[in-house]
Amino acid sequence: MSAYIVRRLIHLIPTFLGATFLAFMVLQVAPGDFLTQWELDPKIRPETIELMRHNFGLDRPPLLQYLIWLKNLLHGDLGISFMYQQPVLEVIWPRIENSLVLVVLSVLFLYLIGIPVGVFQAVRPYTLPDYLVSFLAYFGIAIPNFFFMLILIFLLVKFKYAYGWTPFPIGGMTSQGFEQLPYWRQWLDILWHAVLPAFVVVTADLSGLTRVMRAQMMEVLGQDYIRTARAKGLAERVVLYKHALRNAVIPIIANIGGLLPGLIGGAGLVEVVANWPGITPLLLDALNRQDLYVNAGIIALSSFLLILGNILGDLLLAVVDPRIRYG
Amino acid sequence: MRKTVRVLSVLAVFLAAGALAQVFTWPAKWTTAKPGEAKPGGTMIDSTISDFRTMNPFVTAEAGNIPDLMTMNGMGLAMRDPTTGEWIPYMATSWEVSEDQTEITFKIRKGMKWSDGKPITADDWIMTYTIHMDPDVGSNSRDSFFIGDKAVKIEKIDDYTLKFVYPKPDAEAFAIASFTPWPAHVFGPVYKEKGAEGIKGMWGLNEDPKNIVTAGPFVVEAYRAGERVILKKNPYFGEWNKDEAGKPLPYLDRYQVNIYKDTNAELAAFLTGEIDVFNPGTVEQIAQIKKAIKAGKLDATLKVNASPIASSQFIVFNWNKKSDRFKERLFRSAKFRKAMSHLVNRQAIVDVVYGGLGTPTYGSVYPVLKQWINPDAPKYPYDPKKAAQLLAELGFKKKDKQGYLVDAEGRRLEFNLSTNAGNNQREQIAKIFVDEAKKVGVKINFRPIDFNTLVGQLLAKGDDRPFDAIIIGLTGGGLDWPFGSNVVPCKGNLHLWNRANKCLDPRETLMEALYYKGRTTLDFKERVKIGYRIQEVEGDLQPLVYIAGPNYHVAWNNKLAGFHPDEIISSIWGAYELPLLYQAK
Repeated sequence: MSAYIVRRLIHLIPTFLGATFLAFMVLQVAPGDFLTQWELDPKIRPETIELMRHNFGLDRPPLLQYLIWLKNLLHGDLGISFMYQQPVLEVIWPRIENSLVLVVLSVLFLYLIGIPVGVFQAVRPYTLPDYLVSFLAYFGIAIPNFFFMLILIFLLVKFKYAYGWTPFPIGGMTSQGFEQLPYWRQWLDILWHAVLPAFVVVTADLSGLTRVMRAQMMEVLGQDYIRTARAKGLAERVVLYKHALRNAVIPIIANIGGLLPGLIGGAGLVEVVANWPGITPLLLDALNRQDLYVNAGIIALSSFLLILGNILGDLLLAVVDPRIRYG
Repeated sequence: MRKTVRVLSVLAVFLAAGALAQVFTWPAKWTTAKPGEAKPGGTMIDSTISDFRTMNPFVTAEAGNIPDLMTMNGMGLAMRDPTTGEWIPYMATSWEVSEDQTEITFKIRKGMKWSDGKPITADDWIMTYTIHMDPDVGSNSRDSFFIGDKAVKIEKIDDYTLKFVYPKPDAEAFAIASFTPWPAHVFGPVYKEKGAEGIKGMWGLNEDPKNIVTAGPFVVEAYRAGERVILKKNPYFGEWNKDEAGKPLPYLDRYQVNIYKDTNAELAAFLTGEIDVFNPGTVEQIAQIKKAIKAGKLDATLKVNASPIASSQFIVFNWNKKSDRFKERLFRSAKFRKAMSHLVNRQAIVDVVYGGLGTPTYGSVYPVLKQWINPDAPKYPYDPKKAAQLLAELGFKKKDKQGYLVDAEGRRLEFNLSTNAGNNQREQIAKIFVDEAKKVGVKINFRPIDFNTLVGQLLAKGDDRPFDAIIIGLTGGGLDWPFGSNVVPCKGNLHLWNRANKCLDPRETLMEALYYKGRTTLDFKERVKIGYRIQEVEGDLQPLVYIAGPNYHVAWNNKLAGFHPDEIISSIWGAYELPLLYQAK
């Protein structure tokens, strides 16, 4: 097992190099650079722009820039953000933390709702409740997240007009006066703000998961050993949760590793619409402004986590499925 | 100028006791509030679309960053009176201009204090200037201290006297002198010890707000990444800033700016009363605010079309096309460009592109700079018949089978037009222009391209540049001298139509000469006369075909009061003076 892990970790190196090299070069291929935006500013002299381009190292050949970046990366230095004039890690870390709140909450929603609902459907297939949940699931898959969030915000604004208050906040991560709250109230406040966007983020995945869970569970429930278990006179609860669920859940566990990059990838456009100060708004900003090292830093971190997540997924699979052994 | 100085010295209440501050009194005519009406307390919540980057005044690159928030978008020795546009003493009490107009000596106001209670003196200006001027710091303000290639110098005469020495008399002398000072006792020791690198490392967004010091009315209390910044009242500001009733300013306890990544979210926040001020940019946004006010759901004031915005769109034709002499001759002809100006249906553009909320433009001086606009400068408004006539004079008399104009040799009147892809307004402008041109038989191939590629083409140098015509815009343009230092002179990098590095048309040479003459004239009225002359030459040359610009609109929640009177609400002066705002409800 440990030999396998070591081998996988060694495989990680060329993959990581390839991914970051490609990303870095694609960023460089885009015309212009961070300083182009100022070239049409009548207040800034062209000499100043050249000087800054030199100071930022943007006048070097792209390959050399990549190698320097890689060397610094080995020392744990992701470079400087041009926009913020601060180390990249200091810029992106608070945003990753914010995104984590949303993503962790939505992962909780995913499993805490998805698995029971799938089981619920599987034990009473082709009944009205099953059809109803399936309908909702298709709706959830079909609607784009950012649009769903916009609709919810629209409804909240209407609600606010009608009743003067709202059950959930209209965007943002913290309330007015947040700084004056005691510590535990601050956490409650963030949670209150996170519930809606976290739920929206998870709608598509949740819908998918209930479909998979339902199918898996129905297949397992049709197996011989389930009939045997029932024939032994085991309680239905034990049959369902001890025998059937544990087998049905295996492919879902294999997927957990894939969630890891999502953890830092953030909640996507929902963050923008819900005004959640996560990593996506920052990434969009950085892409727009061609803040090279912020982009490269986020890509490096997420590709690293993607690779690591895959390894983790494979290992988890070995833990839950006794048939799988790595030599 | 001298008269204003005297009036203001009277306004400033001099107190005999040396320990007491020389007070700057904020004139009541700058606000709609009656003297004595305003009460202290409350919070104003503003909003912004882009996240803050830093609290450090020396590395901040864009307007509206945290150092600007703390200092009312910049505060210095002099400030402009929004009712007249003239410079009046602010952090200075008076000034003296030398005989040859190259030296200005400022008397610094006594009794001003930093937000940590230390006195503000000449050393603070000197240190701020020194750090801005260090090229290794990379301050965006560095260029503002240069006139041409020569730097402005500052000398400390004593703790409360500063002398600015200019390489030559300059229209922007007071603008240059009015930079915002930052505390020498905070930045000085770091700069002496660690130099530029030390300065760059200071006052990042993670800085403990306790270490932030400012001269302005508000100082940072808390910042939450990507969410908001909260500033609290600087109590020392009120010692030298009072209203006409003698009350210390600012009235508000807190000033907060929320960050929204999306204008829809920003609008929703205004409609629900989460933020107090909003600048609607589109007809739809204005309609929504109107609807909410009418339905009684929002108690707010909305000022539509308060003024034009200091920006405009124009078409630039490329004079440097060695590889295509036919087009080059065309683009260099003022007659051709006048014909093109006659083809720009500015009213349709204002109606369609800006939903009726815009202003047509005919020259480089933005319509909002009223005192600079020469009403008699030549204009070539929409008139397809005149356009056709001018084109016929250029030899384009016949039309080919497809209905496009051709000259005697059968060459078709056709060129490419571009703008930055994704800018809907410019794309719409281009389409309207292309349609109108087609009607008289001019074939324009419109193809938007990526912004950075576009900038590359525009700024290309030499006698063969890679574009025909581009629709683009510039912003800025000063109240002191509205002509761009790198736009008008032929060697300027934003002399977009001709980058051969020399003047090609005698009118260009004349405009350049007039530009420098105006720039070195300190007397405002004299300068306006030169500005008028430039606009006449410019109108005749039509180096750029100006189109139109959007208007400025503002809405505020009526829980705040103390906004500008209507006459001074504009894109230049804004809707309020922050220290004079107060919470009414």
